[in-house]
Amino acid sequence: MRYPEVARRNRRMMLLLILGLILSLILMSLPLYTFDADVYTKKSANTFVGDEKYVAARAEAEQAAEDYRAQGFDVEVHENVLERVNSKGKTTSLVTFTVSQRYSKNFFSFIGKGLPSSTVLLCLLGLMCLSVLFAIFGLLGTEDVLHCYLSQKSRVLRNLAIAALILAIILVPVFILMNNVTFSRQLSLYNAGLITEGKEAFFARMDRFLFDGQMGESIGDVLSGLTINHSGLVWLLIPTLFISLIGAISIRKGEIESSLLRGALYLFVIIVCVVTLYPYYVMLITAFRSNAESLDMYFLHMFPTKWIWSNLTDIVNRGVPRFLLNSLFVAGGATALAMLCGIPAAYALARMTFKGKKIFLGYVIMSQMFSPVVLLIGISQLMTTFHLNNTLWGLMLINAAFNQAFAIWLLRGTFVSISSEMEQAAMIDGCGTVGALTKVLIPMAAPGIVTALIFVFINAWNEYTIATILISTAQNRPITVGITQFSSFNMIEWQYMFAASLLATIPVVILFMTIERHLTAGLTSGGVKG
Amino acid sequence: MSTGLNRTKWEPYLWLLPSTLLVTVFVIFPILIVFKLSFSEISQAGVVGGFIGFNNYKEALNLPSFKTVMLNTLWWVLSVVIISTILGFIIALVLNQKFHGRKIARSILVFPWATSLVIQASVWNYIIKYEYGSLNNVLLNLGIIKQAINWRSSYQVEFIWECWVGIFVTVPFVTFCVLSGLQSIDVSLYEAATMDGAGFWSKLRHITLPLVKPSLTVSTVLNIIYVFNSFPIVYTMTKGAPAHKTDTMITYLYMLSFYERKKGPATALSVIGFLILCICAGIYMMSVMRKEEQL
Repeated sequence: MRYPEVARRNRRMMLLLILGLILSLILMSLPLYTFDADVYTKKSANTFVGDEKYVAARAEAEQAAEDYRAQGFDVEVHENVLERVNSKGKTTSLVTFTVSQRYSKNFFSFIGKGLPSSTVLLCLLGLMCLSVLFAIFGLLGTEDVLHCYLSQKSRVLRNLAIAALILAIILVPVFILMNNVTFSRQLSLYNAGLITEGKEAFFARMDRFLFDGQMGESIGDVLSGLTINHSGLVWLLIPTLFISLIGAISIRKGEIESSLLRGALYLFVIIVCVVTLYPYYVMLITAFRSNAESLDMYFLHMFPTKWIWSNLTDIVNRGVPRFLLNSLFVAGGATALAMLCGIPAAYALARMTFKGKKIFLGYVIMSQMFSPVVLLIGISQLMTTFHLNNTLWGLMLINAAFNQAFAIWLLRGTFVSISSEMEQAAMIDGCGTVGALTKVLIPMAAPGIVTALIFVFINAWNEYTIATILISTAQNRPITVGITQFSSFNMIEWQYMFAASLLATIPVVILFMTIERHLTAGLTSGGVKG
Repeated sequence: MSTGLNRTKWEPYLWLLPSTLLVTVFVIFPILIVFKLSFSEISQAGVVGGFIGFNNYKEALNLPSFKTVMLNTLWWVLSVVIISTILGFIIALVLNQKFHGRKIARSILVFPWATSLVIQASVWNYIIKYEYGSLNNVLLNLGIIKQAINWRSSYQVEFIWECWVGIFVTVPFVTFCVLSGLQSIDVSLYEAATMDGAGFWSKLRHITLPLVKPSLTVSTVLNIIYVFNSFPIVYTMTKGAPAHKTDTMITYLYMLSFYERKKGPATALSVIGFLILCICAGIYMMSVMRKEEQL
C-alpha cells in the first residue's frame, strides 16, 4: 500500500529538518565570537587626569595607535582610570591606556586551526551532514510507506538521523566549553606562567587563528591582553538543531505533535539524568585527582589529567577497609536480626487471625516514625546501661529495631500475595507451622524476601546519625562516619573523602538497582525510605 | 485468612514476640527514658537528679535560638516536601511513558535514594565551594559566568542549598511512589477518555490525580516525617552555623545535648519533637488503615 499523503508529510518534515540545519549554519556564519586584543599598553602611575604626565602618556598611546594604523590595522585607544591612595596618603590615579583591536570570528574561522574546538566543530558539522544523508537514504524509495510498515533498513537509517542530531546538540555546549577553556582559562595560565609546557606551540596556534600568523614574535604581548566574548546567541544553536531533531523524529514516527512531545520528553529526561548524575560525576573525578588538582580553581578538564590510583591505596592505609568491614558487620547483622524477628511476625500477620492485630501493626509502624535523634538521649542512656556504648553490637541492634517496621510491612505484603494452599497441604502432610513456613512459604516468597533484605541492608549501611552518637573510637567507625575523618578544620582531603565515598556508594547503588522493580510494587503499601 | 487448622490461642503472640521485644527495648524504652528525663533535673555533666516539673520545658522555650530553629524547621519541611512532591510527580508522569532508555533513566534516578546522606551532602559541599568548587568551575568553563560566584555568601543562601540537597535526595522516593500508583491504573480508562475527547489536562485531573492520590498521600506524609527527622544534610553542610541560624530542630537537639551540654532542655525539646511526630504519625496511620480497608 502506498499513501501519497504520507509522502507529502515526509517531504515537509525533511524540509523542516533542512530548515533547522540552514538556520544553524546561518547562526554559525554570524560573527558571534569577538576577541579584543590589546596590542599596546601604556601605564601611568601617580598622575591626575589631565596633568602633564597624563597628557604625555596619552600622546604616546596615540602615537602607537597611529603606527598600527599605518600598518593597516584597525585599532582603538581605550583608557582606564584607577584611583588609589599612594604611600604618602595622597589620592592619585593609575591610568592605563590600551590600544586594542577587535577581531570578530564566526564558527567557520575555527576550522582547521588546530584548536581543540576545531575538532569538535568538524564533528558537529559532520554530524549535521550525516543526519541529512541518513534521513534522505531512510526516505529513499520508502517515503510513501506507512510508518508501521517500514523495512528494517529504512527504520535503522531514520533512527541514525535522530541519533546524529542528538549528538550534534550535545556537541554545542562542548564546543563552547572548549573555546572558553582555551581562550580564557588556559591562556591565563600561560600568561601567568603557571604552566609552560607546550607554550610556543599554543601561541603559534593562537597566532594562526587570530592573525593568520602575522604577529610572529610579538604574539606573547598581544595574547596577554586578550579577552574573549561570545554572544549569547551561541546558545541558540541548540534550539535550531532541535528543530531539525523534531523533523527527524517526525520522519521516523509520522506525526509532528507527538514528535514534539517526544522531543520535549527526551530533553526533560536528559536534563533530569544529567542533574542527578552530576554529584556522582564530581565524586568520581575528584576521587582520582591529586590533592592539588582537587583544590584547583582552574580545573580545565572534564576528567583528571592523571588518574591517581594511589588515592585508593592511600585510603587503605588510613583505615578505610576497617570502616567498610565494620559497616558490613553492622549492616549484615542488622539485616539478619531484622529478618529473624520480622519473618515470624509478618507470617503471623499474614496467615493468622488474632486479637490485637491492628494494635500490633500500629505499634510497629509508630516505631518507624521516630528519628533516632529525637530519641538520642534515651538511646545513649539505654546503651550505657547495657554496656553497649561504642560497640558495633549496639549499632547493629538499633539498626535492626529501627528497620523492623518496613521489614515486616514488605514481608507481610509478599506473604499475603501468595496463596496459603500449599502451606495447608504441607501441614496436612505432617509439617508443623514452622516447617510450612521454612520449607514452603519462604522459598516461594524469595523475591520479596530478598527485596526486604537488601532494603534493610542498604538502610543500615547508609546510616550515619546513630553511628556518630554511639561510636567514639576510630576503629569502630562504620564507613559513613569514617569518611568524615578526612575533613578537619584546617584542611579537607577531598580526594580521599570521595575515594572512600565511592567505595561505600557503588555496591549499594548496584544492589538498589536490582531491587528497584520489586520495590516499586511494594512501596506505597508500606512505608519505605532510607 | 486463617488456615483453618487448630492453633492454640497464644500461638500468634509467640510469633510476634521477637519483633515486639526488639522494638520495645530499642525504640519504646528510649522514648520512655526521654519522657522521664524531660521532667528531671540534669546537671551539665549529665547526672540525673530529681523531679523538677516543667522547668526543662520552660528553659527550652526560652532558649534564644528556639524561635529561629522552629521557623527553620517549618521552612525546611515545607519547602523540601512541597517542591520534591511536585518535581517527583512530574518526573513520575514522564517516566510512566514508554520511551527508549526508560530503564536506564529509572536506574539513574535510584542513585540519590541509594546513597548515604552524608556522602551526598559532602559532595554538594564540594560542588558549591567558592574557591575551587565544581559548580563555579563548570559555569566558568562554559562561559556562562565571568567571575566565580560565592555560593555560600550568607547563611540564608546556605540554608537554601541545604533545602536543595534535601529536595535532591527526596525526589526519587516520591517518583517511585507515584510511579507504583501510576502503573496500577488501567490503561483502558485513558483509552475511553480519549474516545470521549478528553485532553491531556482533563485526563490528568479526572483520572490520574484521583487514582494516584493514595500513593501521593502516603509519600507526602512519610516525607514530612522523614524530612523532619533528617539530620545528616544540615549537620554536614553547616552544623547549624552561624549561631544555630541554619539549624533545624533535629540538629539543634544534637548540638544542645552533645556540644552545649544542655541535656535538660534538649530532652524537653525531644518530647516536643516527639509530639509533633505523633500527630504526623497519626495522620499517616489513618491514611494507611483506610487504604487497608479498601483492599
